[in-house]
Amino acid sequence: MTKTSELIVCEYCDAVYRKTSLARHQRSVCVRCGGVLQRHVGLTVQQRLALSVTAAILMVYAHFYPVMSIRLQGVSNSATLWDSVQILSQGSITFIALVAALTIIIAPVLQVLLLIWVLAFAMLRRRSPAFALCMRGLESLRPWNMLEVCLLGALVAVIKLAGMLDVIPGAGLIALAALSVVLIYIAGRDVRDLWDRL
Amino acid sequence: MQETPPQPAPIKTRRWNVSLVWIVPIVALLVGASLVVRNWMQEGPTLTITFRTGEGLVANKTEVRYRNLVIGQVTSIKLAEDKKSVKATVRLSKEAESFASEDSQFWVVRPRIGAGGVTGLDTLLSGSFIGADAGQSARRAEHFTGLESPPPITYGEEGKRFLLSAPDLGSLDIGSPIYYRRIPVGQVISYALDADGGSVTIEIFIRAPHDAYVTQNSRFWNASGIDVTLDAKGIRVDTASLAAMLAGGLAFRSPEYAADGPPAAQGQRFELFADEQSALAPPTGQAKFIRLRFDQALRGLAVDAPVEFMGVEFGKVVAVKLDFDEQKQSFPVMVDAVVYPDRLGPAHAKMLKALKHSPDDEMATARLIGNFVEHGLRAQARSGNLLTGQLYISLDFYPDEPAVAVDLSERPIRIPTVPGDLERVQERFQRLVDKLSQLPLESIVTNLDGNLNELRQGLRFFNRQTLPGLQTTLEELQQTLESANRTLADDSPQRQQLNQAITELRRMSRSLRELTDYLGRHPESLIRGRPKSSEP
Repeated sequence: MTKTSELIVCEYCDAVYRKTSLARHQRSVCVRCGGVLQRHVGLTVQQRLALSVTAAILMVYAHFYPVMSIRLQGVSNSATLWDSVQILSQGSITFIALVAALTIIIAPVLQVLLLIWVLAFAMLRRRSPAFALCMRGLESLRPWNMLEVCLLGALVAVIKLAGMLDVIPGAGLIALAALSVVLIYIAGRDVRDLWDRL
Repeated sequence: MQETPPQPAPIKTRRWNVSLVWIVPIVALLVGASLVVRNWMQEGPTLTITFRTGEGLVANKTEVRYRNLVIGQVTSIKLAEDKKSVKATVRLSKEAESFASEDSQFWVVRPRIGAGGVTGLDTLLSGSFIGADAGQSARRAEHFTGLESPPPITYGEEGKRFLLSAPDLGSLDIGSPIYYRRIPVGQVISYALDADGGSVTIEIFIRAPHDAYVTQNSRFWNASGIDVTLDAKGIRVDTASLAAMLAGGLAFRSPEYAADGPPAAQGQRFELFADEQSALAPPTGQAKFIRLRFDQALRGLAVDAPVEFMGVEFGKVVAVKLDFDEQKQSFPVMVDAVVYPDRLGPAHAKMLKALKHSPDDEMATARLIGNFVEHGLRAQARSGNLLTGQLYISLDFYPDEPAVAVDLSERPIRIPTVPGDLERVQERFQRLVDKLSQLPLESIVTNLDGNLNELRQGLRFFNRQTLPGLQTTLEELQQTLESANRTLADDSPQRQQLNQAITELRRMSRSLRELTDYLGRHPESLIRGRPKSSEP
């Protein structure tokens, strides 16, 4: 009977394999369905923590600096992420505002906070309090983080409006772009190896 | 020789292994921090401005502009604690720091339509914004009170401010134009009641370079409305401009007799006259007050009625009051008047010179007037207009009037009065009526009545007795006349007889003539008789 910790289950077809260690540029693939089982994790815990902190900093800017401002005939308007949620909530479908708040603000913020929390303790080679809860939370938050969708939407809006109005991309948009990239990089499912290490 | 195998080099473990990856968050932090710092560096002062209403103000949207350049933004709008105003918090940009000085002005620019024109039309599209005007004070302030309307002039404009004192505001308003020789050179920028409420102070602004025309001698007058003059030359209509007619306006000029003068200083106070004529009139000089007591009713004598001396107007009535005289148990009318002796012109000047009399010496003035009264100076209420019954006061000499003692110590000096012309006529008429009423009308009427009775009796007798007799007499007369007529008719026997008698008479006269001829020729025949031979 092998230990369960040495086994890995394909998340698409439930085939069970034994874990292997991977080198750079390597990944293990399920024989049955071709789904990716494991990837080489190139980042140390410390690096991941650093990137998480970066994400937190970027998040602050993305939230407090306007994503873009528009100007027409002397009338100008600018909006931050939070403003967009507020404006949606005043519209006809308040529910959309709730979804938007969840996907572009609450989920990313929670993700980054949980990552920092877990990784900070991992640096000290300890399990953080409520480690299992945090890890499961991270996993369940992942599909709700749609910051990159928001970024795409903002970019589309900038390009489409540019013909009609004067559109000035704000500092928030750049922070948002960087944050999206960083979050994709660190908030993938590679946090699972923490289970093994700690 | 045996070689010792190489010893492994001692390993030193870094206790604290910091990965290079930490540069990433540090760079992010630095970039962000630089952003924050730059923003903070650009950030100007934060002010709170109190407005009466928040109309047109939107947080994070309403801009603060100076010369239509954005210098700040409203960040929040709150109701004041006392709920009587609205507090707008404004964040200015760094270069607009001078707008935080104590005497800066802020107002909300909205579309406005006034007599002077339409302003703020662009705000219809862009929404209201807060207009700002930088102050010049070095002291900084954080709380400002917003103006309700844009200030008519901004600090940048060069010119001078002056103050005008007026009894009332008239039709003036902020922004009313000020004309110099019919050219608009400035405007009214504010007005306020004086502390005692007795007059109005109007602040005006004259733009450079026209402000040099305001001299120490300048006179300001109200150029609003239409000035219609009706005199011997006809009707003259005078207006400054259509705008002045609608919105009111002021004009100023130096009078001809004092055209040159040093330029007026900033903030100098002038008197505002009601019209051009009174503004440019020669100075009235020192005012003297006189009191007149009239024993008859003065219906038609109003305050501001003119006071004339020998037909020259030189003052006006300031009060007409009814008094009670305890000694005479009567109600005299006390009239107070102000007179300006200077208006008498050369007469006054010459008189002063001749009498070596200073106009400031009250007692000397009183003595002079007492002297005049001794020579018959009297005041009289005369009718200026027979239709309306308006009265004016006339001072004149009546040498025949009985002397009246003047109390020289009394102030104001009292000048005795004589009844008015109309009153005199009335008096005479009264006397006539009195005499008439003294006639023994009763007895006259009784006598007349007796006479009439007798007359009636006489007439009755006449009717009864005389008239019938007269009738018969007339009839007889008629008969007589008829018979006379008959007698005189051509074919009447009397006429025939008469003709015959006449013929006889003619014949007789002929024979008489013959006789006389014969006698002339033969006078002896008178004695001897006619000879037989001499037959005629």
